[in-house]
Amino acid sequence: MSHTAMPAGRQPLSARPERAELQLISARRGRRLFAAATIFLFAVLLLQVLDATGVTAIGLVSWRPLLFAYIIWAAALCTAQILIRGEDGQRAAFVLPAVLFTVAMVVFPTVFGLYIAFTDWNLSAAAGRRFNGLDNLRTLFADVYFWNALLNMVYYVAAVLVQYAIAFGLALLLNAEIRARKFFRVAFLLPLMLSPVAVSWMIGKSLMEYRFGPAATLARHLGWDNPAFFSTPWLARTSIMAMDAWVSIPFMMILLLAGLQALPAEVKEAAKVDGASGWQSFKEITFPLMLPVSMTVVILRIIFQLKLADIVINVTAGGPGGATDTVSSFIFREYRDRSNVGYGTMLAEFYLVVIIIFVALILKGASRWMQRSN
Amino acid sequence: MKVSDFERMMAIGLSRRAILKTGASLGAVAAASTMLDGLGGFGEAFAQDTAFRSQLLQIPGVGKGSPTDADWQKVGEMCLEATKKSVKQGEFAGVELSFMGLNNQNLHNVLFRGFLKPWEDYTGAKITWIDLAQADYNPRLQQAIATGTVDFDLLEMGAPFEGDVCGKGLASEMPDWVKAQIDMDDYVDYLKAPVGTWDGKTYRISVDGDCHNFNYRTDYFSDADLAKAWKDEGHEGEWGVPKTWQKVQEVTKFLKGKTVGGMEAVGYLDAPKAWGGFGFYFLGSRATAYAKHPDDKAWLFDVDTMKPRINNPAWVRAIQDVIDALPSEAGDQLNADPGTTAFQQFLAGTGSMISWWGDVGASARTSDSSVVGDTIGFDILPGSDDVYNAKTGQWDKLPSGPNHAPNMAYLGWGVYVMARVDSDEKKKKAAWSAAAHLGGKDLALWTAAYPSGFQCYRKSQFNIKEWVSAGYDEAFITSYLASQSNSYNHPNAAIEPRIPGIFQYYSVAEDELAKVFAGQATAQAGADAIASAWEKITDQLGREKQIALYKASLGA
Repeated sequence: MSHTAMPAGRQPLSARPERAELQLISARRGRRLFAAATIFLFAVLLLQVLDATGVTAIGLVSWRPLLFAYIIWAAALCTAQILIRGEDGQRAAFVLPAVLFTVAMVVFPTVFGLYIAFTDWNLSAAAGRRFNGLDNLRTLFADVYFWNALLNMVYYVAAVLVQYAIAFGLALLLNAEIRARKFFRVAFLLPLMLSPVAVSWMIGKSLMEYRFGPAATLARHLGWDNPAFFSTPWLARTSIMAMDAWVSIPFMMILLLAGLQALPAEVKEAAKVDGASGWQSFKEITFPLMLPVSMTVVILRIIFQLKLADIVINVTAGGPGGATDTVSSFIFREYRDRSNVGYGTMLAEFYLVVIIIFVALILKGASRWMQRSN
Repeated sequence: MKVSDFERMMAIGLSRRAILKTGASLGAVAAASTMLDGLGGFGEAFAQDTAFRSQLLQIPGVGKGSPTDADWQKVGEMCLEATKKSVKQGEFAGVELSFMGLNNQNLHNVLFRGFLKPWEDYTGAKITWIDLAQADYNPRLQQAIATGTVDFDLLEMGAPFEGDVCGKGLASEMPDWVKAQIDMDDYVDYLKAPVGTWDGKTYRISVDGDCHNFNYRTDYFSDADLAKAWKDEGHEGEWGVPKTWQKVQEVTKFLKGKTVGGMEAVGYLDAPKAWGGFGFYFLGSRATAYAKHPDDKAWLFDVDTMKPRINNPAWVRAIQDVIDALPSEAGDQLNADPGTTAFQQFLAGTGSMISWWGDVGASARTSDSSVVGDTIGFDILPGSDDVYNAKTGQWDKLPSGPNHAPNMAYLGWGVYVMARVDSDEKKKKAAWSAAAHLGGKDLALWTAAYPSGFQCYRKSQFNIKEWVSAGYDEAFITSYLASQSNSYNHPNAAIEPRIPGIFQYYSVAEDELAKVFAGQATAQAGADAIASAWEKITDQLGREKQIALYKASLGA
């Protein structure tokens, strides 16, 4: 009677409508739960807004009730997913908390920041926050300090290529069979482990100190009468670049070293057998094979470089005459020293857009170049 | 002398001989005062008071190392008598207070903790602390105000921020019993109302006084070779400490290329590098003699319109002075902020003249890194042969001679109680009692004599004998205190406007000045750019409101 036997795990036909009905009931409950939670969320939001604008006087001291309402709504959403979609809903419930958390902690602040960017909000202003349309954007386009800082960023980003060349050289050195290789690998990594603030003080304000700094003393011995590393625009900019390079080169070097170690030895050995010189081997084999790693390293460094601020703030405060100013250090001054939240946020949001476009263009360009190289 | 007092003095490290010597001298002073006054009761009280203050200054004693937390607690305990008169033991049990202040160089709040520990033990109240670095102070305070999240009951704050706090009704008005306890009449004149008040109400307990004084190297100005060279080069007058900015400029240029004691001679030290807004005070010190006319309270803005005066001929002359002097100063002067000029240059032996707060003098003989302790002298800021009259647009020569206008930069720190305690009488009394303890007259003497971050702010702190008995050299301390006292009590002192956002004005000015000093703009163009930026800030903050607050802060 095996042909009449029901397959294991399959329910009798009579049970199917029952289950479908249960699913329908469950889905209905889920939808109701979600609708109730959504109504509750919007009701709390409405109350908060009315209270904040002074239309009603409920006396809510903070926006915490809205946060609790959001958490309840999030829990209801997850539960509703399970009730409505069954097993699929369970899968979604694994991901939803992370998505909702990201929405709360990243998407909402970014969107809210965008709103702030279009307001006139100086913390000392008697009138408080006011929507001011495109005024902040107009101010930004006419702000010589911003454009000066942006121009400086071009120089700083260009310096990444020099850092890359040095880092590649060091990586090749540490990849070669040299004495005390392990020691040098650790030693070259040390600057990366230091905080840029510590580097600012140790190097910028101590080693390079005009009167007693060892670097200044050495420079005097070498015949430089006035070893003031931060007193002329290009010298100051170069000094900042050098300090930044000291911290950043190890980061690039370690990534490049990892790339070099992953290269297949056979190719290089074959080139050697074919009589390729060291330079030819590097130019024709190592460098092309390292291109993907190199592009990653350079792009990552550029992204970090665009946020350069700490060393500049500590050592030169953007001087002399704005020669070392960065966009981040300028935004820092707008926020910290001038409490100019609206304009400062506009600067930050605009700079974010600039960075996104710039990095996207680099990625696109790099991708095309790599394809052409291949 | 009570046995307990004797034991206490022994415990703090005084020798038997020192105690006897102090006791004898104090007795003599007490006897003399009794005879002179013919008031036995007063004389006895005076003697006790003097003896007490002398004991206080022996903790730990000048030259006996930096004070520690144990010393601060001892000082706090000794100064608790005033509290005991107005508060019963355990009266504030269960009260919790939050105190926001600075922790610069491990001073300020760090000392307050020690001073208030015995107060907490006696009253039963408990204090939690919010410590901030100087750079974080302004944004933290402004955020708390703007977002309505004032989470502290007591606040250490400078008078320039009174517009932001008192002007917005966030501070608690000082009760009368506090005024009596802290003896406000003892304040130096410039710290009396309108400073610490807003719309006629008193809010502040001062714990500090501020002014820039003029610090100079005595070895430079007594150097025979320099005196000869000065004459040989045909300079007018004798070689000596400059009394006007015109002379400061002349001396600075004269010293370029000369040596003193085998070292390169450097004249005045300017601080062109930005310093979070605080750097503007140093241009201010050069400008006040030009810009602060004795017939006009205002010197930074016009009172009725808030029109900036920064681009008037007086300020432009001060900016031009810096431009002209910089090539004669140290090689990397362009990258020197005020911290550098004071602690890495002047105290370390570079430069012969500097305007700064009292910290330079206080550190000259107590800091290990100072090499100028024996060769430093003090004066009020230099004057000017003429002063600009903003009302007439003319330069005036005063019949009394050079115009002096000491820069009362920052007006000192104070302790403020926040209005949020007003709804709870017990908490309010506790907060004011804690603040009054920190602002006590005797405690003030100690904080001025030892590293604390605070200068003199009371008339009673200028008794030279007390300082000498604590171990200070008489000539040194006389010169130091006179430079402060003469600044505080100067009839033409330049008082800083206490208006909201004042540091925004300073910060913007620093950016423009950096360009001027780097040679990217002329003094006039830079000053015009600052004026334009200041007008924008005033409009953003609300011009009418700013004018009203400015007038209130000037007491106009």
